[in-house]
Amino acid sequence: MMTYIVFILSVIFVVSFVGFSSKPSPIYGGLVLIVSGGVGCGIIVNFGGSFLGLMVFLIYLGGMLVVFGYTTAMATEQYPEVWVSNTTVMGVFLLGLLMEVMLVLYVLKSEEVGVVFKFSGVGDWAIYDTGDSGVFSEEIMGVAALYSYGAWVVIVTGWSLLVGVLVILEVTRGD
Amino acid sequence: MNPLIFTTILMTVLLGTMIVMTSSHWLMIWIGFEMNLLAIIPILMKKYNPRTMEASTKYFLTQATASMLLMMAIIINLMHSGQWTITKVFNPTASIIMTSALAMKLGLTPFHFWVPEVTQGISLTSGLILLTWQKLAPMSILYQISPSINLNILLTMAVLSILVGGWGGLNQTQLRKIMAYSSIAHMGWMTAVLVYNPTLTMLNMLIYIMMTLTMFMLFIHSSSTTTLSLSHTWNKTPLTTTLILITLLSMGGLPPLSGFMPKWMIIQELTKNSSIILPTLMAIMALLNLYFYMRLTYSTSLTMFPSTNNMKMKWQFETKRITLLPPLIVMSSLLLPLTPMLSILD
Repeated sequence: MMTYIVFILSVIFVVSFVGFSSKPSPIYGGLVLIVSGGVGCGIIVNFGGSFLGLMVFLIYLGGMLVVFGYTTAMATEQYPEVWVSNTTVMGVFLLGLLMEVMLVLYVLKSEEVGVVFKFSGVGDWAIYDTGDSGVFSEEIMGVAALYSYGAWVVIVTGWSLLVGVLVILEVTRGD
Repeated sequence: MNPLIFTTILMTVLLGTMIVMTSSHWLMIWIGFEMNLLAIIPILMKKYNPRTMEASTKYFLTQATASMLLMMAIIINLMHSGQWTITKVFNPTASIIMTSALAMKLGLTPFHFWVPEVTQGISLTSGLILLTWQKLAPMSILYQISPSINLNILLTMAVLSILVGGWGGLNQTQLRKIMAYSSIAHMGWMTAVLVYNPTLTMLNMLIYIMMTLTMFMLFIHSSSTTTLSLSHTWNKTPLTTTLILITLLSMGGLPPLSGFMPKWMIIQELTKNSSIILPTLMAIMALLNLYFYMRLTYSTSLTMFPSTNNMKMKWQFETKRITLLPPLIVMSSLLLPLTPMLSILD
């Protein structure tokens, strides 16, 4: 099973995306967002990026999603929508699940899948040592490069975050 | 809005477009688009009523979808070419998806439905920024990937845009919706010649921005958002009616005004590339545009409809002062003799 762990995690990822795209109430959307965040973190860790996976868990799930959960809990209605409460939501969820199941069967059964780019069955998802990454792990080198050569990216993203806060304050301020 | 915060947010809109236009890494371009989108939302929502909020939401949803499609095209391009630079798009699927994403951002048919609704829901100044500045960033990316764009898709979208822009504007009396449909049609003209000679796209963009700026500033000057309100400008500032006449005819593409220059050049370039039916169709459909511009001039400058005496006065007593207006008017009507200077654009 460990050779196919990335495939399994990717399937759970897509299923949880279907879960919140079928629009139950935000509190349940946040629930599957936690699942998808955790599973995405698992995918990143399996590719060798343990630092980045931990960042996803800490900052995304432990910071942003917690704040989102608390604000949604304050603003939620008395009987929030679940996936089975509304026919439309349940229909969309089941449709998404059906399409995912068909896609998974297609990938598992056939030798080669060519949708936009060709990959050979499940084999392409298995992790094996591809090349000589040398002494240093690639992802730590990437983080180091972000703060040295990529200083402009850090400035731009920092400015975007600041302006994001200003924009949200302006939009919710009202008159 | 607090002036300091307003300035910061406006500068971020400018910064976003500048990042898009000057980056060589696809990820930075996407970041620039997102920054632009994020910062223009409070500018669209300057007045806090449900109409502006609805318009901002519509704008945000369509542009965010387009950014997602752009990101998907970028990743497909990365998977097939292994590099992030913007030379050309290496995969036909990625090229089609990217063209659709940028068409959604520009408001080309069949993704044009948001343009009239969003333009109508916001104030005149915000509409001005929306229809002129926001077109610069997607057009610059289209210019950069123009060698690898699928011709059929782009030409279909362009011709349909000219048709929809002309036909859809026929039943409108609200000035902002008229300007929105005019924007759709002009975007169609710009993208039609993109694959053949991208320099003409840039020329058309330049002249279109000048003319649209002039029109919007004339509307702001007379504080009019409907045809009826515009038809009362003869009472306040009679000179404005003449200027509206000249600028509208220039937008319609009539010689000897500068609006004729891009249309002439585009038709010439298309016929040089042995397509005759296409520019004929485009020129005929531009007549629809000219029809509703002329209807505006008819009610504004050429006739004075019979009305009761109390309808004749405009209620506004203080004239707005727009410094940039006279040079803009001159530039949007008298640039045609400068056409031989086009050689500097190469």
